[in-house]
Amino acid sequence: MSGYQLLARDLAACGRDGFTGELRVLGSPGGVFHLHGGLVVAVESPGAPAPEALLLRSGRIGGEEWAGLVRESGGARWPAAGLIAHGYAGAAQLRVVCAMALQDAVFAVVAGSVDGCERGPATGAPPAPVVVGEPPTRLLQVASRKLGALLEQPYPVRPDRERPVPASLSYAAGRLGVLQRDLLAHADGRCTSRDLAFRTGRGVYTVTVEVARMLGEGLLECVEAPRPIPVRLPPDGHGIRPREPAPPRQPPVAVPEATALPRRRPGASGINEALTTERNGTGWKEFFRLRNPTAK
Amino acid sequence: MDHTALAREMRGLREQVTGITDTALAAADGLLIAADTADTIDPEGLAALAAAGLGLARRTAQATARGALHRTVAYGSHGCAAFYAVGDTALMVVLGDEGMDVERLHRATQPALRRIDLILTDRTETTVKTAEGV
Repeated sequence: MSGYQLLARDLAACGRDGFTGELRVLGSPGGVFHLHGGLVVAVESPGAPAPEALLLRSGRIGGEEWAGLVRESGGARWPAAGLIAHGYAGAAQLRVVCAMALQDAVFAVVAGSVDGCERGPATGAPPAPVVVGEPPTRLLQVASRKLGALLEQPYPVRPDRERPVPASLSYAAGRLGVLQRDLLAHADGRCTSRDLAFRTGRGVYTVTVEVARMLGEGLLECVEAPRPIPVRLPPDGHGIRPREPAPPRQPPVAVPEATALPRRRPGASGINEALTTERNGTGWKEFFRLRNPTAK
Repeated sequence: MDHTALAREMRGLREQVTGITDTALAAADGLLIAADTADTIDPEGLAALAAAGLGLARRTAQATARGALHRTVAYGSHGCAAFYAVGDTALMVVLGDEGMDVERLHRATQPALRRIDLILTDRTETTVKTAEGV
């Protein structure tokens, strides 16, 4: 049974059972399906930007402002009410962002490899849930159709495989779209389509399709071998030395009680030493001479 | 030291955990050994910051009786930076975007850290087992 069939079987069973909880998909990138009454209300996957990442990376809201909204909402992972109240987004926009992110995460899970699925209880409120849950079977069918369409492109691309760079043709190209310009700016031979989706704050399916098109049009190209990683050793020729151990702990210094008055110790002022010193011929005689300058 | 094996470990980790964007290795004193980082990152500065941060965290753990330090992670709105000690000789920095599963990263780094430590100190599993009397 393939990974997709495994996922389809387990998700269909969740739908039939009216399952409420989490279905953890093991694999790469894998993910977590949050279900309520057999319907999928949210999907998290490392393979696709969550609604939070879409809002932050697209510049709709800054990191500090987001942190402020999370504090204001008592630590909620998805401060929807605050986003609407402060005018960062409308309620309908947020619903669209959540629905798109959910579909995108399912696509990322399906486009990757699935090793197995595990059901578990809900560990908390699902992050950024959709208002009306989606039937799991239909979600999978949509994702599968998207993957099929992607693989039929002249230059088929996987979200986590190719790491393209701008081709020479791209420098002379005119009339580039906003997404194309963004992708050219971020494609450095290190980023996959999935990485580019996070960098640009867009859906991973949208970006992967565009990367496939741009590779087909010669705007992007894939380099054969990645850039080598240079390794250097410390210049003193002694190789890598172990770190110095932490200094031994000092014994705690006894702190006098704050309320106690200082106790006088005999001789602490040093006056006796000053008066009994016979150096330079001074001593009691000098003391009296200073007190009574006329005395000899 | 096997430079190719070291580079392979660093690149392998990036391939293994979705969301890793950059990795760097530095000696315990903060001198850079190897960096698989984007051009936008200064690897020497990152290595020095990692050594200082890990040292501070280690002292904090010691001063507060929290036991041996495992790692430190700095979270930001666009991702996180994880710092790991590599044996007694070095440290590793892993940068990831906000999609990276940090728990998965911690699980994946443990065997990689062990292998990197062996590479840096020119040892093999066999020599270590012999020295330990296994």
